[in-house]
Amino acid sequence: MIWIRRFSFSVLALAGAIFLILGSRENQDAPQDFVIVEYWEKWVGTEAAQMQQIVDDFNNTVGKERKIFVRYMSMTDVDQKTLVATSAGVPPDIAGLYDQQVAQYAALGAVEPLDDLAAAHGITEQTYLPVFWKGCHYNGRLYALVSTPGTIALFYNKQIFKENADALHAAGLSSEAPPATIDDLDRCAAILDQKNAQGRTERLGYDPLQSWYVPFNPYWFGDNLFDAATGQLTLDSPGAVHCFQWIAGYSKRLGLQTLMDYQQNGLVNFDSPQNLLLIGKLVMQQQGPWMANYVDHLNPSMSHVLVSKSEEWKLKNRADNYAWGVAPFPSAVPGLQNVSYSSFDVLMIPKGARHSQEAFAFMAYVNRQDVSEKLNMLHCKNCQLAHVSSNFLQHHPNPYIKLYQDLAASPNAHGVPQIPIWPEVFKELNDDSQSVALEGADPAAVLHQAQQRMQERYDRFHRIEIQRRQTGMN
Amino acid sequence: MTRQSRNNLFKGMGFISPWLVGFAIFTAIPMALSLYYSFCDYALTSPTHAPLWIGLENYRLLLRDALFWKSLRNTMYYASMALPAGMLVSLGLALMLNAPIRGVAFYRAMVFLPSLVPTVASAMIWLWMFNGRLGLFNFMLGKIGVDGPDWLDERWAMPSLALMSVWGVGNTVIIYLAGLQDVPKELLEAAELDGAGRWRRLISVVLPILTPVIFFNLVMAIIGTFSILIIPYIMTQGGPNNATYFYTMFNYDQAFRFLHMGYAAALAWIQLGIILALTGVAFWSARKWVHYE
Repeated sequence: MIWIRRFSFSVLALAGAIFLILGSRENQDAPQDFVIVEYWEKWVGTEAAQMQQIVDDFNNTVGKERKIFVRYMSMTDVDQKTLVATSAGVPPDIAGLYDQQVAQYAALGAVEPLDDLAAAHGITEQTYLPVFWKGCHYNGRLYALVSTPGTIALFYNKQIFKENADALHAAGLSSEAPPATIDDLDRCAAILDQKNAQGRTERLGYDPLQSWYVPFNPYWFGDNLFDAATGQLTLDSPGAVHCFQWIAGYSKRLGLQTLMDYQQNGLVNFDSPQNLLLIGKLVMQQQGPWMANYVDHLNPSMSHVLVSKSEEWKLKNRADNYAWGVAPFPSAVPGLQNVSYSSFDVLMIPKGARHSQEAFAFMAYVNRQDVSEKLNMLHCKNCQLAHVSSNFLQHHPNPYIKLYQDLAASPNAHGVPQIPIWPEVFKELNDDSQSVALEGADPAAVLHQAQQRMQERYDRFHRIEIQRRQTGMN
Repeated sequence: MTRQSRNNLFKGMGFISPWLVGFAIFTAIPMALSLYYSFCDYALTSPTHAPLWIGLENYRLLLRDALFWKSLRNTMYYASMALPAGMLVSLGLALMLNAPIRGVAFYRAMVFLPSLVPTVASAMIWLWMFNGRLGLFNFMLGKIGVDGPDWLDERWAMPSLALMSVWGVGNTVIIYLAGLQDVPKELLEAAELDGAGRWRRLISVVLPILTPVIFFNLVMAIIGTFSILIIPYIMTQGGPNNATYFYTMFNYDQAFRFLHMGYAAALAWIQLGIILALTGVAFWSARKWVHYE
């Protein structure tokens, strides 16, 4: 019927007109005459909202004084979007990326060096803990500042330790203190494993594959993964082989079925009420300080054993109020203590950014002690700065934050190896760990092949860089 | 060329120019550039880091790359299961849905519905169904006393993904259904008068007439199975132990995680070559089994 067609057309035309008149337009939030700094960040959800608070604080204070307005955009796959925008010559002024991208992006000329800007803002080696300062550099130049760090330690369920006190004591282990050596960790794990009547594993004491940090595990076995002095990867060093033999040992003891069960139900359920740590299916895991926030959110009963959260400040030891604890992840090398992997998120200025001075003003603001402490308390992370306030240590949502801070300050704290091909090496080592654990491959042989493959890639990268310089294309 | 025909040519070019410009900007030029980049070291990081000509090095390197061969083998293995399974199931469903039964529109909608479910959502649902301990499949198998496998372990992950691919055959079923509507009734009636039963009519009348549609779906399926990316990326991330690491995942990682855009371009051209070769075989064999009216 013709009137239906006319009516439909009119409605569509009206909707189009309204869209044109009232639709998308330039963001009006930015005050006039201000320099607008475009800031793209990887965080979404709660963490994004928390960073927004910092951005708002900046815009209302320092930004207002210096006529800088930071426009914050939270997005997924920020690295790829930054890459494409940089390549097209329209990058953001600040990109919130990952630690493993510092060397990769710097080596490929995708980000600006920041040495002069940092010096002008008084940010020096003394500002940061060494592991983070080193991690922000590539080839002796500064390319990034830290936004938030995350140092890795051993998270354990104190309650399950207590429930199994008799068995632990019988084996000469403590039910009050977490294992201090790899050998103790393995023995604890075996005691805390639990099977049901059908022989299926109901609880695991520990599983090395239940970790995002498997490629970094050689750090706890005395290997550094890369020797900067010789330019050689050390993936098949005795420490790394020992580490992978240790992983293979778990595979043999637990069996493929159990490992696969945990692979399918483990880390994929991290941010869910089915998180294995929080439902008592896994007793120990490598985790960062942020775990406290997840416990509060997903199983708050684990964080007020004695009194309510609001009253825990009255306790002599806050940690007593928690059914979980944290300790340094034990090292396999006698005498090697407080070993950690300290990951961190970074802020970098992509090559071609239009407002690098103003962008750095915001990056420096994020690294001001009060601001950094605020952000890291919101994100429930430790702090990259060399000095933190007593308020940060006492009122941090993670009652064990001092331990994380000490681990990051330890001479045995490691960051990502500063090599441009680290993302490839990371995948290689992850694959190799699976090959050892799930296929029963020989650790020494697997790592020897990995070393050859990755060293060849690394050498090739440098060979081509030299070729670039010689042809004036860099 | 006469003035009139020249005018017509300009008008014609004018009318198709939006397509021509779009094709040139978004397909032809990027393809030509990617061919050039496949002979270069190129990272897509900065306008100042220009492509550096390295000849055949990317191609030589990938032939020695264990992951290249593994991902290629995985993709072939997946295709060898998903392609025939998808073709047979979609054809079977179309034949059933072509029958004059009550409520056929409802059944057609039910078969097509999974194609409308967003990929991520369907991947998450299947992830749960495949779960070795908590999943629906093993729950049902348990009810009949069978201890089901871990559907996403190294041995079962690939058949599981192939099984899952069958869930989304709704689009192919619709194309088959359209083809089945075109089978002339008089031919079927003539065959029936000659004493042909249902099976004989299907084999001797329906399928030969449907062969152009089968051929079209075969070519699309070859392209589709060799380009699979999103579902395994969400469900298994290529694991366990790279058992579901597909060619396109390898390519994606090289381009955007490891920033070897030149290497990724070489991989893409090899992928195009493989797909062209397979579709070439399909076209060559089509002369023997595809019947056009």
